[in-house]
Amino acid sequence: MATQIVMDHTGDSRHQFDPADAAAVAKAEARFKKLAGAGFTAVKRLGEGKSEILRSFDPTVEETLFIPRLQGG
Amino acid sequence: MIWAEVGKVVIGVALMAISAGLAVVLMAGMETTSGRVERKAVTLLQLWLSPEQAEQYSSYGHFEVIGSDTGTRYRIRHGRVMNIDQLDSAGNTVCEWCFAPKGNLAAGDCMLAQKIALERFESGALAIANHRPGQA
Repeated sequence: MATQIVMDHTGDSRHQFDPADAAAVAKAEARFKKLAGAGFTAVKRLGEGKSEILRSFDPTVEETLFIPRLQGG
Repeated sequence: MIWAEVGKVVIGVALMAISAGLAVVLMAGMETTSGRVERKAVTLLQLWLSPEQAEQYSSYGHFEVIGSDTGTRYRIRHGRVMNIDQLDSAGNTVCEWCFAPKGNLAAGDCMLAQKIALERFESGALAIANHRPGQA
């Protein structure tokens, strides 16, 4: 199972999908595009504290974190 | 007559007690929810930290990251605002930076976003950040 984690006021919301399920993948891709369009940054966890920015949806990524747009504090 | 007055007082006191009780219950609920959100965000943060950063955070309440573009060292303290120290080679704070994700997010989420931003797109993050000189 792959997981999309979206930071929000509850801490985060999680959406799991089966990469082998075409319908679930399509839904996950739509979520990715919607969040990216809203200014979220998608990040792939590589382990050992490392990460990689995702510019496009990749159904093989096990864990994707979505960070809301940054602003100066 | 006097019993009617006593009755009014008793009813008034009872209503005040009920109101106070409701307020306590509501505040306790808010506290519990807030604490749960903070713990959830810190748990997520810890999963994304390197072993060294997790050790620093566990011991001191802060951890260090290296900027992706300049190699500069930053210390991210537990918090949501003005919690990023730019360090010099001696570990002194030369500047304090402030940026965070939009929305009312928990400290753990803010710190995770700050870590990823500095480690992956340092210049872009600092371009939108506010800052002030540190006290080296």
